[in-house]
Amino acid sequence: MTDRRRINGPAGATIPPIFDDQESQEPKYSKGRSRAPNASRKMYLKTGVTPSASGSAYLEIETSATPDVSGLKLSCSVHGPRSLPRSAPFSPHIVLSTHVKYAPFATKQRRGYLRDPSERDLSIHLETALRGAIIADRWPKSGVDIIISIIEGDQDREASKLQGDEVWDMMNALSGCITVAAAALADAGIDCVDTIAGGVAALVQDAGDDSTPSIVIDPLPSDHEKVLAACCIAYMPTRDEVTNLWFRGDLPASDMDLYTTLVEKGIQASKNANRVLVNCLSETLE
Amino acid sequence: MTAPTVKLPAPLFAKLSPHPFLLRNLTSTSASDGHGDRPPARRTNGRGTQETRPLLTKPSSLSHAHGSSLVRLGDTTVLCGVRGELLPVERIPQFRPLSRTRDSEGDGEGEEEEGGSVIGRGELRDYDLLVPNIELATGSAPQFLPGVPPTTLAQTLSTRVYSLLHSTGLVRATDLRVWSTAGEGNGKKNKEDVEMGEAEQGEGYREMEEEDRVVAYWVLYIDLLFVSFDGNPFDAAWAAVVAALRDTRLPVARWDPERETVVCSRTERKELNVSGLPVACTAAVFEEKDLSEVGTGVAEGRHWLLLDPDRLEESLCRETITMVVDCSDGETKIKSIEKQGGTTIGRELIRGFAGIAEKRWKEVKDATK
Repeated sequence: MTDRRRINGPAGATIPPIFDDQESQEPKYSKGRSRAPNASRKMYLKTGVTPSASGSAYLEIETSATPDVSGLKLSCSVHGPRSLPRSAPFSPHIVLSTHVKYAPFATKQRRGYLRDPSERDLSIHLETALRGAIIADRWPKSGVDIIISIIEGDQDREASKLQGDEVWDMMNALSGCITVAAAALADAGIDCVDTIAGGVAALVQDAGDDSTPSIVIDPLPSDHEKVLAACCIAYMPTRDEVTNLWFRGDLPASDMDLYTTLVEKGIQASKNANRVLVNCLSETLE
Repeated sequence: MTAPTVKLPAPLFAKLSPHPFLLRNLTSTSASDGHGDRPPARRTNGRGTQETRPLLTKPSSLSHAHGSSLVRLGDTTVLCGVRGELLPVERIPQFRPLSRTRDSEGDGEGEEEEGGSVIGRGELRDYDLLVPNIELATGSAPQFLPGVPPTTLAQTLSTRVYSLLHSTGLVRATDLRVWSTAGEGNGKKNKEDVEMGEAEQGEGYREMEEEDRVVAYWVLYIDLLFVSFDGNPFDAAWAAVVAALRDTRLPVARWDPERETVVCSRTERKELNVSGLPVACTAAVFEEKDLSEVGTGVAEGRHWLLLDPDRLEESLCRETITMVVDCSDGETKIKSIEKQGGTTIGRELIRGFAGIAEKRWKEVKDATK
């Protein structure tokens, strides 16, 4: 069914450009990771980009060394706290509604305007992560909307390679979403128990047959031959509390240490992001 | 003045009773100043009535799109991304085959320019090659929250941009055609020759008197995302569209007979021929009588023309005028006039407004370069 409220373009389906060197070109140009395993990419965070919203923030993660690859760009706006509509049932807490949407031009393939399941998934993860940080009973009978637009995604692989990798990109996006939402919430003046930030750690295998899997933080799927497992963590440093943990991948069940190390590394990544967040917020105060 | 005076901070007063607030701002200056001549009236945002917000444009801000721009008009911020996708002609219903001999194109270049623009516009419209869409529901303002279908404003804006794109002829269909040469069986000799538009003219293939045909069209998806909304969305959106189209570089496409598809070059890119620089200029009419009192009736009393209205002013005005002008040829050409609501703006005002729009054009021109 066509969406009659938008301009849909020609009736026949259009195809994204096919490039002539698609087959000849090496499918992989991964040069390996240029950062240390414990180093996150550089981050730029700024609050107050949308003056008409109660709070807003913009996050940009540094472009990696590979040409033609963009970093993550996120814009977040927070509306509220405001009263719930009359029809809504009574709530003793603040009602959090999160909304994550990729812009049509955020990825290599054009995205539609309707939300797809992965975007809904991101919204739900984000909501879980933030619910643990907000002091919800300060605002009974009210609601707050957190809206994140992914202006530019991390996606940097060929379309064929993309299918298996999208989930890893989603983790990076989620960790960015958590950090940017925390900044916007602080900008809106909504009380939180602590500053919350997201971090990703992954177990990766580099190119070459003999290499052993290693754990890196803030992974870029394109830097590595294969991502075996990854976890995204929302963490509050002062309270030493994890509000959301999203784990995905294959790990041997026998090796419990690997799990805990991965989570610890995720926390470390989140601490790195938290430092940027705190810096940004204290700059705003001055 | 017997009523007790309560001191309210300006933002609160603006929220409580916006209309008197704006009215007092526009009228108060004449009384307070002791000078003989009236100082110009100020709006609530500190601007004069004919004063616009500076326009900032930043092209090529996105890496996945073929062309993009970021436009900032005060607190209104728009991001525009243009992406080309290919539409093979067999997917176009009622396609009128288009062919040319290489000879005729090489010789009659001027003729193609003249006649081409008319024919080209027909193609753009008939095959629906331009697809602009505006997304406001990004939390850009409290009234635009996601999760609902596009608001009336978003739909209206998309349609206005769509029709203006067609009526101004900003994009030429010749840039969007992908040709295949006849005699393509000859193999790789022709490879470099088969390109979009007229790029290949003057090559030495005159001896083949066969006809080239159009095998596909580029469809331009023009997506606009409001990051922040503070009034005057159309001017900002249109400026973003124009800047993004000027920035657009489509990959050079050719027909690959072996694969029977259109393939693009990864390295070669060709920019669009964007003709002129149409600039939209919007003003709202603020009436002395409050809208809620007047209802739909004819307004009396004084009125002010507020150029480049912000969110507060837009909510208080029912009449707006938008004029799109292009002065890039030296003389001012009015591309479109749109007026909505109200009865204040008459012939005289529109004539005067052309001058204002011309001034705005110069400002925007300086901002884009």
